Amino acid sequence: MNQDARIIEAYVGEYASGKSEIAINRALELQRMQRKVTLVDLDIVEPFYTLRPIKESLEKEGLNVIAYSRSDSFGLGETGAMLNPQARWALRNEGDVIFDVGYGIHGAKTLNLIEEAAQSGITVLAVINYMRPMTGSVKLIKEYIKELGIVHAIVANTHLGDETTLDIIIKGNLEIFEAARQIEIPVAYIAIEEKHKESVNKEEFIVPVKFIRRYMPAAIW
Amino acid sequence: MEKIIGEPKKAFMTGNETIAWACLAAGADIMFGYPITPQNEVMHYWTRLAPKYNKGFLQTEDELSAGFTTCGAVQAGKKAFTATAGPGNVLMQEPFGMAEAMRLPVLAIIQQRGGPSSGTVIYSQQEVTLTTFGGNGEGHRIVYSTATHQELYDYVIKGFNTAWKYRFPTFVLGDGYQAKMREPLEMYEPLDKGIELVEAYPLIGVPGQIGVDREPQHLCNIYSLEEELYDVVMQMSEEYESISPDIIEFQAKDCEDAEIIIISHGVVSRVADDAVKILRAQGIKAGYFRPITLRPFPRQQLKDVIANSSAKQILIAESAYGQLERLVKQEIYGETVKINNLFMPGVGIIDFDIINKVKSII
Repeated sequence: MNQDARIIEAYVGEYASGKSEIAINRALELQRMQRKVTLVDLDIVEPFYTLRPIKESLEKEGLNVIAYSRSDSFGLGETGAMLNPQARWALRNEGDVIFDVGYGIHGAKTLNLIEEAAQSGITVLAVINYMRPMTGSVKLIKEYIKELGIVHAIVANTHLGDETTLDIIIKGNLEIFEAARQIEIPVAYIAIEEKHKESVNKEEFIVPVKFIRRYMPAAIW
Repeated sequence: MEKIIGEPKKAFMTGNETIAWACLAAGADIMFGYPITPQNEVMHYWTRLAPKYNKGFLQTEDELSAGFTTCGAVQAGKKAFTATAGPGNVLMQEPFGMAEAMRLPVLAIIQQRGGPSSGTVIYSQQEVTLTTFGGNGEGHRIVYSTATHQELYDYVIKGFNTAWKYRFPTFVLGDGYQAKMREPLEMYEPLDKGIELVEAYPLIGVPGQIGVDREPQHLCNIYSLEEELYDVVMQMSEEYESISPDIIEFQAKDCEDAEIIIISHGVVSRVADDAVKILRAQGIKAGYFRPITLRPFPRQQLKDVIANSSAKQILIAESAYGQLERLVKQEIYGETVKINNLFMPGVGIIDFDIINKVKSII
């Protein structure tokens, strides 16, 4: 059982900003602390794709994963927007609940569909990658976060996939810090792929640094 | 023209997003579209960018309309494009046929999904036949098959130029994986890379009095007599064949000493490239051939590659049940190499699949 108050977080942000990767890493981080964790794929536009290919491997690591499996998808085809009932009632699960909220700005609005979300004390974190053109300047980041609605904190996730350099991480995230300062939303942490661990001095940053593992390449998306 | 990108810069994006930016960088004026997965985010990103750059967008009532409005806009001298997939690509063949007949510089981005019919929304290479030869009659078109996000960016820009320079409808053939996956690429202003953008110009309503200052503009998709049509089709075929050498693009690697040549296109060529490297590291002499233009097809280039290699066999690998194979077979008619295939319709192919197949046949 979880020793203290349950943690309920939702990761929102631009399409391909790294929401799923951050949500998975966060869920596993909590699970390693011997907490009971439910990870929810809350993509109502493309409900079968994001976490499905890696659902089983995440379950093997001890997570409770709410996402469709191959057998669940039969017959649904190109269904319009649909909400997995298990996701709708995800907060009734015991322990921590981490929502991976798919599909950008409109995705963020789907949090309203989660039963008891309003009373749950949910923390909404916006994942921002400065190397994505839609969030590639202080001005654009500010505009973008405003469109998302309620955001409690930012995860600075600047990277360029396999071509990420320390320079990119530092320069990009500094721009995110500046945007965060101007709109007065705190940066919760910086996410950096663990392969850069050796070259990053955590002390250089004014906010916590979390080293993440990439799980999504195995999911293709 | 307004600078869109500024200094060349690296970005991390999905393929659909890449296409929207490339259209902007290429100076596109307007997109016409109708939603279908997996091309939806081309529209989503274009509609987010369009208001900022004073560009146009119209969501029509279906793909027939999206295709025909694109045909209309280019006649008015607008750089117009559309994007579709699967059953949407089927519906658009009628307007694409009109573009072939009237020589309209339409650019269409196709993100292949699974079939037949609605199939899957995910991925395939099953729209090769439709995209290369989907029109009725015998019109002509140009089809680029891309493999990376960088190529999506490069060939969208090139595609507009090709369409407006040669006046044949032009296609950038991607797929659901390219549409949705994300990887880094460099965005740039075409001029900074020495790419002159071909200016759009009105095809109708041009200045001057007909019969006095200029000949009338006849953009026809129907003729009264069979002889008239015959002349047009023959003349278009002749012109297409004469420009084809300037348009054809392909890649060939490690073929000279190869005992087997792997032929693939699009996203599958990425794993074919990896497979060749791994096979060679294991002592198996494999070669790699990739048509970039599926139409016009690099016929002579492939024949030359086969002739100049020691290959006794080829392997055609595709996420379809023989669409690339059909193209290749008709183009290399007369060659005596044994043709093997790895058909995986609607699913991804990884290097392991190709390596296993090669080991099973040599």
